[in-house]
Amino acid sequence: MSYTSRAIPGSFPGRVLGATLLCALGALAAGCDGSPGPNDGEVINAIVLPTDTLLNLACADVGIFTERCVLEDPENPFAKVAIIEFDVNNPDATNKFALFNSIPAGRTGAKARFYFWATALARRASGENQFYTALALHELWNYNSDPIVQEQALKAYRSVLDNFFSSVTVFSCCENVRPPDDPRGPIPFPVGLNELTADNLYRTDATGYARLVPGDPLLVQEVLLEWGYRYRPANPPDYTDGLVFVNGG
Amino acid sequence: MQMFDVPGKTKNQERAAAMTGLGFFKRLKSACALLAVLLVFCGPLAVEASASDVVTTIKDEKGWRLQVNGEDFYVKGMVWGYSPRGQNYTYNLWGESDDFIRKVLDYDFGLMKAAGINAIRSFSTIPPKWVTYIYREHGIMTVINPLMGRYGYSVGGRWIPFTDYSDPLTRETLKRDMVEIVRTYKDVPGVLMFAFGNESNYGLSWSSFEIENLPEGEQNVAKARYLYSLFNEVMAAGKAIAPNHPFTIVNGDIQYIDLIAELCKDMDLLGVNVYRGPSFTSLWAEVQQKLDLPVVFFEFGSDAFNARRFEEDQRSQALLLKSQWQEMYNKAWGNGEEGNSLGGFVFEWRDEWWKYLQVENLDKQDTNASWSNQGYLFDWAEGKNNMNEEWFGITALGLPNADGVYEARPRMAYDVLSEVFAMDPYTAGKSRINAMFTNMDVELYALKGDVRQLKADNREDRRKLQLTGGDVRVEFAFRGSEEEFRIDGEDAVEFSDGQMIFLDFGFEPTENLEGQFSINILGNVAEKRPLEFTYGDRGLPLTIETEQLVGDEFVERQVTFDDRERVEIYDFSATFRGELFDAEAFYHTPRYHWGYEGDFFGLVREATDIVGMDVWNSKAPEGIEIRGKGAWDGLTLLGGPEVYWGANPKAVLKYDFELGKVGFSFIHSEDVARLGEGAAATQATERQSRQTTLYAKTELVEGVKLEVGGIMSATEKVDEVYTRVDAAGNIYRDEIKSDDTFGIKAKLTFPVFGAETYLSGHYAGLVADGGDPLKTFGVTDPSRLPYSGLGNKQEYEAGMMMHFGNLMVYPRVMYRENLVDANPFIPPSISPDGTLFPGVSPRNRDEDPFAVLGNREARSAEVFFTWDPTGATPFYDWDNDWREDAKFAFNFGGNYTEFPTPTDAYLFFFEPAGANASFGQGLPAEEVWTVSSRMVFNPNQRSRYIFNLVRGFDQSTGNPEGGTRDYFELNGKVVLNRKHLISGYFMKDKWGPYDFYRQFNITYPEQYKIDYAYLLGTQGALGSRMDEERATRIGIRAILRTTDENSPDEEFLDGLNDHIFLVVAYFTYRF
Repeated sequence: MSYTSRAIPGSFPGRVLGATLLCALGALAAGCDGSPGPNDGEVINAIVLPTDTLLNLACADVGIFTERCVLEDPENPFAKVAIIEFDVNNPDATNKFALFNSIPAGRTGAKARFYFWATALARRASGENQFYTALALHELWNYNSDPIVQEQALKAYRSVLDNFFSSVTVFSCCENVRPPDDPRGPIPFPVGLNELTADNLYRTDATGYARLVPGDPLLVQEVLLEWGYRYRPANPPDYTDGLVFVNGG
Repeated sequence: MQMFDVPGKTKNQERAAAMTGLGFFKRLKSACALLAVLLVFCGPLAVEASASDVVTTIKDEKGWRLQVNGEDFYVKGMVWGYSPRGQNYTYNLWGESDDFIRKVLDYDFGLMKAAGINAIRSFSTIPPKWVTYIYREHGIMTVINPLMGRYGYSVGGRWIPFTDYSDPLTRETLKRDMVEIVRTYKDVPGVLMFAFGNESNYGLSWSSFEIENLPEGEQNVAKARYLYSLFNEVMAAGKAIAPNHPFTIVNGDIQYIDLIAELCKDMDLLGVNVYRGPSFTSLWAEVQQKLDLPVVFFEFGSDAFNARRFEEDQRSQALLLKSQWQEMYNKAWGNGEEGNSLGGFVFEWRDEWWKYLQVENLDKQDTNASWSNQGYLFDWAEGKNNMNEEWFGITALGLPNADGVYEARPRMAYDVLSEVFAMDPYTAGKSRINAMFTNMDVELYALKGDVRQLKADNREDRRKLQLTGGDVRVEFAFRGSEEEFRIDGEDAVEFSDGQMIFLDFGFEPTENLEGQFSINILGNVAEKRPLEFTYGDRGLPLTIETEQLVGDEFVERQVTFDDRERVEIYDFSATFRGELFDAEAFYHTPRYHWGYEGDFFGLVREATDIVGMDVWNSKAPEGIEIRGKGAWDGLTLLGGPEVYWGANPKAVLKYDFELGKVGFSFIHSEDVARLGEGAAATQATERQSRQTTLYAKTELVEGVKLEVGGIMSATEKVDEVYTRVDAAGNIYRDEIKSDDTFGIKAKLTFPVFGAETYLSGHYAGLVADGGDPLKTFGVTDPSRLPYSGLGNKQEYEAGMMMHFGNLMVYPRVMYRENLVDANPFIPPSISPDGTLFPGVSPRNRDEDPFAVLGNREARSAEVFFTWDPTGATPFYDWDNDWREDAKFAFNFGGNYTEFPTPTDAYLFFFEPAGANASFGQGLPAEEVWTVSSRMVFNPNQRSRYIFNLVRGFDQSTGNPEGGTRDYFELNGKVVLNRKHLISGYFMKDKWGPYDFYRQFNITYPEQYKIDYAYLLGTQGALGSRMDEERATRIGIRAILRTTDENSPDEEFLDGLNDHIFLVVAYFTYRF
């Protein structure tokens, strides 16, 4: 048996081609370093947050898990802003709530709040980020009465139940038990997001905004039933005993 | 050796003659005394005399004859070797126990002797004692046939793949070594003759300035002159040492016969490999006219597979051999023709299942025809190959017998040759010879061959589904920790057991479709985590928390599933061979990168770490590859859900073509979806993307090779936004432009004072990402230069491979800059008036079009010293652990790399969310270094020691927290008496043994592992990598880790727990 393997030396055309390619490489390396120049891009040291309430949806499911198109939305001022999640290993570190709390309150900050939470959700899929996105849409609708935003807010709340049913958010409380200067800080306690979601839909007092499902609160229960859930409303005075059940669960 | 030597009387014979004429008693007395003296003093002489076979060629008016000790000897030979199924060229029979070798030889040579075979040629060097054993026990002589650099040679400690016969050092080395072989074998009983090379005239592939300056048609003639002149020098020197044996070469047909006549004056006969079909045509007359020497065929014959009918074809093989031998007998001494045929060695004794592909499909007999020969008309067709490398045996490779010897199932050719060999062509006479061939009952032999084949098929059930093997694994695990001991005492040791069965199947439903698959069945699964993650962990109990409706309330509860995924298909592959293309479907079977096939940017990555994938129950690689043939030659299509580990579902098209003598490769790779989960548990998935590359390779002048490639990558990212910070601290929002998708790379390789030197440059736009760069020595390259396939760089690299005898010194340097640096972290803030100061944070590859990671700015230098006295088993070959045959070989070297800038943020796959998550911050600027050494000791043929030492100061591959680690590692493997396998490691302050430990910067103060295995059964001897994988064994291993604050919290327990341990006793039975 013969086993032949033979390297082929370059022919004249091969040499010419090789030299041409080599020259092209040299020219490219020498002349085009590819780094952005001073005139490239736009300086964004400071961005004025939107103060209006007109929301153009970047895509049909913006603000709904698993859609991440908000990161590509040119109107989103937070698209490239670091949103730092709470770190259980470093609970004292600055987190997203510090930046969130700096957004102007009320109508002028509503749209920015939506972008903030939708961006957080796109970056980190969590019930908390979905819940606050829904709340921000709820707030925005409260100001602009835009039915598109209303529908989006309902989708966002439903996403909390559908995708993050068992998630919680953490509040702190009980300053009377631990004074503000207690080095251990306030006492944290978790609250189920399914309950908060249903409560936000059910009670206007829970959010301070109009009810997304106008009319009798019983209609909210009908909507929840359509979504596949049953809601036993919370009772005064604390409204912390509401329960959401999964139909057939 | 044309003079014929009459052996003279020995002293013993003279003394015996002198005894005549004495009285009986006197004679008896004297004879006894003499006998005693002879026994004492002349015994050794007698042995020596019998050891010295005298082999000669003699010529008279009737032609040429070969004689052994004065007796005519027509070579009825066979090319012989022993390659079991599942093994390849690395298998070494002579490393087995003497008992097993004897069983193999007795089996094979018993069959050969019965057929009248009287000589063999072997590609492996048969140790002298076995040459003699074969001769004395079976009467079969051996040609000693060193290949003399035909497939490369170690010269000055450096492995030269294309032997340069013009190089003075090469000539000196080859001559010295060949003469040494002659010296070793010259007095070995059973040696028939010495022959050198194997079709060496087809391997004149080296290049040199002197020769390349000649007109093209004269270049090979000039090279051949060097070859044949060296052959003659070797033969002349050999004959001075071993005058009792003929010397020859093994030429490819009679190419360069005029040069042979001119330069090989010391050659005794012409040895040739001839594949001309049923007749040798004019060869006899040409040799007689130009050389006036006798001829021995060192290879000839036919394969037994019909490429047209696509089935075993014993008859065609047998009839072709019959025709060839009839012509040879007619051309032998005394038959009135040229009279220069001395016989030949049929290629070959038994099929070898490794010949096609050589490292793949070793358990299957490939039916792929790999070359074309019009001399074999029974299956030749225009434009198609018809020579089936794995089907040349006159016996088929059967199953192992009770002794573990793979049987040789005689084909029809065996019976035909038995009848042929029963006749002596020197004495039979022409008419009897031809009558024998004419009257041979070939139908009977065909029937016998068919019956044997049927029986064999019944045993193997070929062409259908068959169980080809498998294994049963049982293990018992003991796991515990210091803290548990402190609390519960000895009761803290957790015991668990595991059982697993693999069943391997082969199938061949049609003649052009074949394949294999394995099924894995789990019993219990031993609990070995976190110390060991192994294949089968998929069956570990899974506990989930859920809620149960009790009355009107939901009550939380835990549900455990302990019978999950008990049966799964472990791997699968199938090959279809068609007219225009071959197609291979693969599922979790090893696949290689395309780095040597024009994939200059490493788009298709290697997927050979099956064990590593098993740990995470990954089923990569999965897909199908279609390679064009004939009119579609050069075209390759690859596609599938995960064609390499971690690949997105994609389709890849490659087209190789030539323009002039420049080779080109065009590749387009298109992701069609995104991988659903990370490979290796926490390895981040990559965004869906695409790449297109064009690569050109040419040799500018002799020895100077230029490779140039261009890439266009990630065009889907054009217009995507990213942020960056300039030197003044201004934050920019910018967009990816078309220019950012382009890259170009060039590599120039050239000799400098004999040292192989390379320079390479690589410019890549911000998103011009490729895949895995190819290192000089592939996956075993010890280099720690910070290679990266990512874009956003200007990169320059150089290296020079210098050889000083057996020592290789290989310094390499790399310099790299980024086009855009990593982002620092500047926290965002919002002023009371609603102005957002967005700050900036490290990018990541999910949210940003690019990120500075492994492609970060770097200045790196390293040097490795490699001592390897046996270049034929290259130190950096992937299976060198088993193939290295030097008494001692080692490397030692180090790398120093400065990373002057930080990286962006790495990602990891966060399983609970089913998505990537970012570490949030990048690795800081750092200066890192590593020194390492690998050592291989072979104190004797049956023992081996391999050690690896590493000391380093390096960063994590993801999480920057915890800082840079200063670590040490010693790992090794020891084989004792080829039955005992001991392996283990000791690591100090190093990351744990799986990738995610380094990704999360998790280290342990100390880690120990020791594994001892004893191999059972006659086939259990460790001689190769495959032996190690296939051996039945019983063993025990122990792992211990100490913990500190850099270890996982659940193991360190805030300092309460000092260590954790695991002991596993195991038994693996292979069948």
